[in-house]
Amino acid sequence: MNIIQELFGKSPFGPLVEHTKKVHECVEMIRPLMEALVNENYDEIRRLQDQVSRLEYEADTIKHNVREHLPRRYFMPVERVDLERFISSQDNIADKAEDFAVILTLRKTKLHPEVMDKFFEFVDQIFQVTGTLLTAAVELSNLAEASFSGAEAKVVLNLLKGLNEEEWKADRMARSLSKDVYALEKQLDPITIIFYEKMILTLGSIANEAENAGDMLRTMILK
Amino acid sequence: MDILILAVMALLGLYMAWNIGANDVANSMADAVGSGALSVKQAVIAAGICEFAGAVLVGSHVTDTIRKGIVDPSALASMPGMLEGEPAALLVIGMSAALLSAAVWLNFATWTGMPVSTTHSIVGAVAGFGIVAAGIGSVNWGKMGQIVASWFISPFAGGLMAFIIFKIISRMILGQEQPAKAAIKVTPYIVFFLAMVVTLATIYKGFKHVLKGIDWLTDTHTLLIALAISIVSTIISRLHVKKKLGDKGSLPLAQQLELVEEVYVPLVIISSCAVAFAHGANDVANSVGPLAAVANILKTGTVEMKVPVPLWILVLGGFGIVLGLATYGYRVMATVGTKITEITPTRGVAADIAATATVLICTRMKLPVSTTHTLVGAIMGIGLARGLTGIDSRIAKKIFKSWLVTVPAAAIVCIILFLIGRAFLLDFVRELVLAARIA
Repeated sequence: MNIIQELFGKSPFGPLVEHTKKVHECVEMIRPLMEALVNENYDEIRRLQDQVSRLEYEADTIKHNVREHLPRRYFMPVERVDLERFISSQDNIADKAEDFAVILTLRKTKLHPEVMDKFFEFVDQIFQVTGTLLTAAVELSNLAEASFSGAEAKVVLNLLKGLNEEEWKADRMARSLSKDVYALEKQLDPITIIFYEKMILTLGSIANEAENAGDMLRTMILK
Repeated sequence: MDILILAVMALLGLYMAWNIGANDVANSMADAVGSGALSVKQAVIAAGICEFAGAVLVGSHVTDTIRKGIVDPSALASMPGMLEGEPAALLVIGMSAALLSAAVWLNFATWTGMPVSTTHSIVGAVAGFGIVAAGIGSVNWGKMGQIVASWFISPFAGGLMAFIIFKIISRMILGQEQPAKAAIKVTPYIVFFLAMVVTLATIYKGFKHVLKGIDWLTDTHTLLIALAISIVSTIISRLHVKKKLGDKGSLPLAQQLELVEEVYVPLVIISSCAVAFAHGANDVANSVGPLAAVANILKTGTVEMKVPVPLWILVLGGFGIVLGLATYGYRVMATVGTKITEITPTRGVAADIAATATVLICTRMKLPVSTTHTLVGAIMGIGLARGLTGIDSRIAKKIFKSWLVTVPAAAIVCIILFLIGRAFLLDFVRELVLAARIA
């Protein structure tokens, strides 16, 4: 009825922050999963995998909700393409976290003590990367309020610079961890090595997607 | 003067004013209600007072543009084969037809939810009458072109001004490391600007028009008064903002931004009232312009170039707008209030200041512009400054389309009504005019 009120679209940024938080909850499940693996508690792994799946599903629901806020006809303060890529990168993070949980349920694998510490360090580094993304992305509502400029934009851009560094570190750790895994080829059966490699690749792709999401966030701000 | 015919005319004017109140007024308070600064009830009361004040105090300035600027009455008189009193009678019928067709078109638009401008409706209707009654040549196309151009210029100007004002707010307050601290410094200047726009427009045009006899109210004095009022409100705002934000510079950014928005709540109320005031000033002419013309013809029996607009006609227009607001606009406002909008007080203030200033400047230049469209332009400007999280471009297109269709539609309805009126009422009205001449 009132045309001026109809002119205002709903803000996608509130739900977008929700999405970021939910995606991060998926990533937060990786450490408990690793601990269950060390303890060889495979029932716990199955239970945690269920939980990640549910979280991933919830993140999907929020994602659809965000998309509903983004009909093509909306004229927005950021490029739609960047925003959509940002969402799909975050979506991929949740997917990869779920993949990781699923991988652990596929086979009753033991974690070799030689690589255990490095594995946990790597997991923590992944968490560091996604955590930095979370810190930057939850600022989206404030960014919109400050019209994507000024001090707030600077703060977020700095966070994103940190994100790139953390991702680079994660990359190096992945390589070093892989080397260590292959160094154990005499002691481990090939299937276990393949399994470790799968875990490393999945974890690495989480960091990669987090970096992609960060890059999209940067382009959104710098539009 | 025949009381009965004048009563019919007054009813027509009232009907038109009612439509303006029902359709348009909610827009002027949209920013205040949308940002949660005012409840629906408060907004209706505030809008009613401001619209009425605007209509009565400033209203007369655009009235004669519509009547005389678009259609030249002398073209009617110089047509061959006119009986005595016939041009005046035709003008009476034509203006009534224009009023009725604009009101009917508006009513139809309100009913179907189409966003049309009251200004555009009446201008189209008067032009339609001119074309049929005295030929295409009688319409002052230069003036018409100027008016049509102003419809594009006013949203553009409103948009540009809103863009700049919001950029200033964004850069100097919201984009600062400590928005609360920055707001203490910058807000008084914005208040000063707002107060200048509102008081200058009100005093210079409003009270001067009502209090014609006061000689000392010269331009210099007006400027001084506006300056004094602005400085006082600037000081008050400075104290208020300092009290609210004084020790908040160290809070987390999100909280500071929220507090800054809170500080802008009173401002968005004032600026929305200013929009309502400007709207009343601008749009009352749509309902009472033709009415004033008819009243004058029936009183004197002649067609004069300049028609004084009696205060009672402006009061009638203002009353009609308030009536429309109270009976139907209330419902429109209620939907505004319950709908979640993404406009915050800082954005609302920027849009409102820009729209008010643009409309008042255009009114001063005797250009009847659409308040709604100027406000839409201002909102778009803020969107371009990355201030809004989403603007529905489909609605914007709808507004633009209705923009284009209103003038021809109102003109066609008016032409039909005028032809019917001329066929049935010409002799009757001519006798009325002649009777007025004898008296």
